[in-house]
Amino acid sequence: MRSKGMKWQAMATIGLALVLGLADVALAAEKIVIGGMYPMTGRAGRYGIDSVAAAEIAADEINAKGGVNGRMIDLIFTDDKSNTTYAVKVANRYIKEDKVNFLMGVVSSAVGLAVTEVSKENKVIFVGTDHASTALTMEKFQPYYFRVSNNTYQSAAAAALYATDKKEWKKYYVIGPDYEYGHRTWEDFWMLLGKKRTDVTMVGQAWPKLYEPDYTPYITAILNAKPDVLVTSFWGGDTVAFIKQALPYKLFDKMKMFNYDGGGNYEVLEALPNTLPKGLVLSARHHNNWPDTKENKEYVKKFKAKTGRYPSYAASGAYAGVYFIAEGVRQAGTAEDADKLVAVMEKMKFKLPEDPDGFTSYMRPIDHQIVQMQAIGETVPNNSFPPATMMLGNWKIYKAEDIIPSVEEIEAARKAVKK
Amino acid sequence: MDANLVAAQLFSGLTSAMTLFLVASGLSLIFGVVNVFNFAHGSFYLLGAYFAYQMVSVTGLPFWPGILLAAVGAGIAGVVMEYVFLRRIYGRGGEAGFQILLTYSFILILDDVVKMIWGTDYKSIERPESLSAPFTLGEISVPRYDLVVILVGILVAAGMWWIIRKTRFGRNLRAISDNRDMASCLGVNVPLTLSLVFGLATALGGLSGALSAPTRTVTPGAGIEVIIGSLIVVVIGGLGNFWGAFVGALIIGEVTAFGILFLPQWAILFSYAVMALVLVFRPEGLLARKGSA
Repeated sequence: MRSKGMKWQAMATIGLALVLGLADVALAAEKIVIGGMYPMTGRAGRYGIDSVAAAEIAADEINAKGGVNGRMIDLIFTDDKSNTTYAVKVANRYIKEDKVNFLMGVVSSAVGLAVTEVSKENKVIFVGTDHASTALTMEKFQPYYFRVSNNTYQSAAAAALYATDKKEWKKYYVIGPDYEYGHRTWEDFWMLLGKKRTDVTMVGQAWPKLYEPDYTPYITAILNAKPDVLVTSFWGGDTVAFIKQALPYKLFDKMKMFNYDGGGNYEVLEALPNTLPKGLVLSARHHNNWPDTKENKEYVKKFKAKTGRYPSYAASGAYAGVYFIAEGVRQAGTAEDADKLVAVMEKMKFKLPEDPDGFTSYMRPIDHQIVQMQAIGETVPNNSFPPATMMLGNWKIYKAEDIIPSVEEIEAARKAVKK
Repeated sequence: MDANLVAAQLFSGLTSAMTLFLVASGLSLIFGVVNVFNFAHGSFYLLGAYFAYQMVSVTGLPFWPGILLAAVGAGIAGVVMEYVFLRRIYGRGGEAGFQILLTYSFILILDDVVKMIWGTDYKSIERPESLSAPFTLGEISVPRYDLVVILVGILVAAGMWWIIRKTRFGRNLRAISDNRDMASCLGVNVPLTLSLVFGLATALGGLSGALSAPTRTVTPGAGIEVIIGSLIVVVIGGLGNFWGAFVGALIIGEVTAFGILFLPQWAILFSYAVMALVLVFRPEGLLARKGSA
């Protein structure tokens, strides 16, 4: 009798497990699964950690309102280690084993270029949230790729408009990290400025390696060239190190520093309390104090409440990514039919915290690049976002349509590659 | 190009050289005496920088005691690493492989430890008030703090010379570097000396990081750039040779500084070019002699 009881017990257990397993499968099918890849370690770790936090905020908001068409958003994250080979493996695993509906993320453009190939092969939509290389939407474009933050062309185009108006800026010196991002950010700007101004010259250039710890020898060389403006295409810790080291040389008294893509990121402003000089001309893909709208304030407040600190700009990309996916699924009525999703998403308009009143971000069908306004500001004293003691102000705002490459430019770039 | 500019560049080259020397000399010392190639040496630079941040910016200690404690802290971490981990692989068959794996893994571990304790945002400490103003050479300002870094580097070099040449500890250290077994037979406490050498060398790395904290970015991963520079320096000077590290650091510091002054767009090339030349014409390093730790 005893053994019979045990047998029944075992069968019941197996049965229960099967039912639970089925329930799990049923639930999983109803979820919208987003496979996120972000660096959580190394130099770009802050961007990844901020992105994950912001994506979770967005998913929680959407799920709290009952999800999308009754389906909850499920986020999975993996550290992509900023490593292309590794990220490709993660993306493949996401698609084949985790059955994700969307890929999202990556900070490094090199990783982005690798993951977009996986997305193309498997016809799984890849939403780029922070990497900025124009190549992904121009010459390496594929239809299952979308980018929800401004790229380097947009920030360089806004910068060229800014510089066009600065009549006293005639002699330029450029210093930036010696890799694709550093060079491309400068070249797009210089090409566009050259179309508007014929009286500008480049008096020098320097390309230290990425993460160079010591810029002092460059600083003397820059001072010696006596430029009016120093364009820097550094990001993150490199901007911080450069400013720290240039300060005692009084470099900022002698020229303007212009860093229009990543220089105005909050992590830079926050890293130099009390010492960041006034009047640096900077921008970033999202600002904690611009636009001065209810939506932006709420976004910043929510981030602060969740993490205890203010967001770096990478966060807003991930936040936008989750909302972009949710809105796409809502309008398309599917998370599985990628082609149907693409058809909807490439024409979508959606409101984001970085949109000023009266403007709504939208996607362009030609390159699947988000079209957004860009603001460039100067550092001014502002203690509202501690520990930073300087924030950007004296804003110059550039219209979204004025800073995107034209359809002809994009087609020419794509044709040049095919040849 | 005027003389002031050249002088200013000379100073900036010397400052880089001294920061490099402090890390590279420890790397070289450990190789020469302990016979370990410590890939994680840059991580002690990183620890020094974070300890300095903790002491000065968080705890509020005055600048110089804070820097000193940071160096000591890095040294203690070094002794722990040697005593608990490295000691277990000395003399094992295929030791070199184990060394590489173990010390390399410490780069990753220490980077993550730093991230867990202090987070990923960039940390800063301010220069002491008395050193924040620059002095001027004609039209050019030179940071006063850099002069102090140069001075500290020279003092450490002199101090190390005294320790290695004039003290009992230094004699033991040289004996071990020449022949570990013989030194042991003659009554030198080899394990203790190895731990102390490791601690001293990592404290030098920590000092370099602590001194750099006001001028560089304190962030996880900062140790890796430093270890690359230090490797170039020890290859030029001669691996395992303390003075080789000094000469190598001076060469790299000044070659880079003047390279940048004349040809900034080719700047990355110079230190590697010097290393390549040394490897071709004097592969053992400029100052290599046997048993010259």
